[in-house]
Amino acid sequence: MDEAKHNLIRKLQGEARNVRRNIWRATRAGGGGHVGGSASAADLLAALYFHRMRIRPTEPDWPERDRFVLSKGHANAALGAVLAQAGFIDDAVLDKFYAFESPFGMHPDIKVAGVEMCTGALGHGLPVAVGMALGARIQKMAFHTFVMIGDGELHEGSNWEAAMAAAHYKLSNLTAIIDFNKICQSGRVDEVISVDPLAEKWRAFGWEAREIDGHNMEDVVDTLDALPLNPDRPTALIAHTVKGKGVSFAENTYLWHSNSVNDEIYAKALIELGMP
Amino acid sequence: MNAPEIDPAEWRTRSANQTRLAFGQALLEIGARESRAVVVSADTQDLLGIRPYIERFRDRFIELGIAEQNVIGVASGLATTGLRPYVCAYAPFITARSMEQVRNDVAYANQRVVIGAAASGISLGVAGGTHHALEDLALMRSLPNMTVIVPVDVNEAYKATLATLDIDGPVYLRLGGRTEEPAVGDPEAAFRLGKAVQLRPGTDVAVIACGALVDMAVRASDLLKKEGISVRVLNMHTIKPLDRDAILAAAAQTRGIVTAEEHHLTGGLGGAVAELLAVEHPARMRMVGMPDVFAMVGPTGPLRAKYGMSTEAIVDACRALLR
Repeated sequence: MDEAKHNLIRKLQGEARNVRRNIWRATRAGGGGHVGGSASAADLLAALYFHRMRIRPTEPDWPERDRFVLSKGHANAALGAVLAQAGFIDDAVLDKFYAFESPFGMHPDIKVAGVEMCTGALGHGLPVAVGMALGARIQKMAFHTFVMIGDGELHEGSNWEAAMAAAHYKLSNLTAIIDFNKICQSGRVDEVISVDPLAEKWRAFGWEAREIDGHNMEDVVDTLDALPLNPDRPTALIAHTVKGKGVSFAENTYLWHSNSVNDEIYAKALIELGMP
Repeated sequence: MNAPEIDPAEWRTRSANQTRLAFGQALLEIGARESRAVVVSADTQDLLGIRPYIERFRDRFIELGIAEQNVIGVASGLATTGLRPYVCAYAPFITARSMEQVRNDVAYANQRVVIGAAASGISLGVAGGTHHALEDLALMRSLPNMTVIVPVDVNEAYKATLATLDIDGPVYLRLGGRTEEPAVGDPEAAFRLGKAVQLRPGTDVAVIACGALVDMAVRASDLLKKEGISVRVLNMHTIKPLDRDAILAAAAQTRGIVTAEEHHLTGGLGGAVAELLAVEHPARMRMVGMPDVFAMVGPTGPLRAKYGMSTEAIVDACRALLR
């Protein structure tokens, strides 16, 4: 790794650490939240917002901007964190998670700068992202559309309607990132309803699929830099992640899909993140 | 009473008095006038008569197949990029099946998506209950931001479709099926969103109707006039936003209100009028529409009559209010 790349990775890892800290900060402010699926997405979001995506935080409606749709909208604490860190929204908003009339609730709201769609009802993001990618193609615009989907979310059939359409239209300007943290609300995804074999499913639907380590920043950056992986196909990145990543007691357990966060838990989490 | 079944090839080419086909014709003009217009199909190219549009504007047409949830999501995504999507779909499927997409991706996100919903009501009578849309108005008008229009005939369907260009938000356009609806009112009249059209003056009773029941209301008014009963008829083509002034005036200036629609009596035009009058100007009312049952199979005309959506039913309702 050359020095520039090394510095980039270090920078992105730092942003990801801040995302995790801000997830815990916001959920403490709100009294709780979807920590698990927010923390699993932190590295991917940091790489998108601080490296890969062409965005203008001071001009959030810039027509040529790359689009990001958080289909797994319950990870809004993570989205709010990157939007604040990137400068789309005021940092103080993170302390208003779940607050009365706050722009920052459990799920993303399109009225907030940088938020591209109201999501959280699962299975909605990919169809909308297909529309954005088709909109770019029709208007001969160069932007790329990213959509992050949960693994349990893939139970929703609308995803597969959209997957068929995206392949039919050869939407190489579309990338779906599956936050494959293996756990949904009731337990392990493979015990609730298995989504395996996941990469094979996307390939069978006509997508270019690649499995990556969603917490290895170099792997994430190299993959995002290589997009599109196929000039005639949409890309599915199956990102293997750990639910609750970064804080041992929250890792790999459905109990932290959504949970209460008080001052004591918050202090313990920050110690584990090395950011007390 | 009913047009005999005709083969699909004939369907495609005939310029019948069908509101669904007027929508498709209007899209041709919209395509020429609005470069951001894009038409989205759910394997419904003939249903809404859009083949001429596709031929002319192929690069602004997207076929998405039989996948209504995806159709609505894609339309919303297209709208976020500045395009003006027009969705062509079956009323029963695009409302009930993809209700959550319509609610979240279109209404909640307040995107400029126009849904052309053909085969509403019991216009596909022979198809059976799975293909009837008798709750679509209730679903659509319950959504904030949504505009709901029920064009009465092909003239109004054409003009209402063009009018959507100026609506800054989502629109549900309720269109018919194979049924040929008679022309009602002045074909030269402009379409004014949210403004009822008075087709007959009257001071004894006011019939507030939409869609296929408007023509029946006019006939009922003419029949009762011979008996010296004066029945006002309003074509309430816009269900949302409702023409409050016309309804309140009708309640104040007559002895009772009859609503008439090809929709369940729960939550449709009758419900909307009743909600307004109950609060603002309580009035005696009768409601003509589909009772709380699923319709049987049959041609549309006899089905309408069987379930009490007829000129006779409107006449009876008017008389009941004057007793």
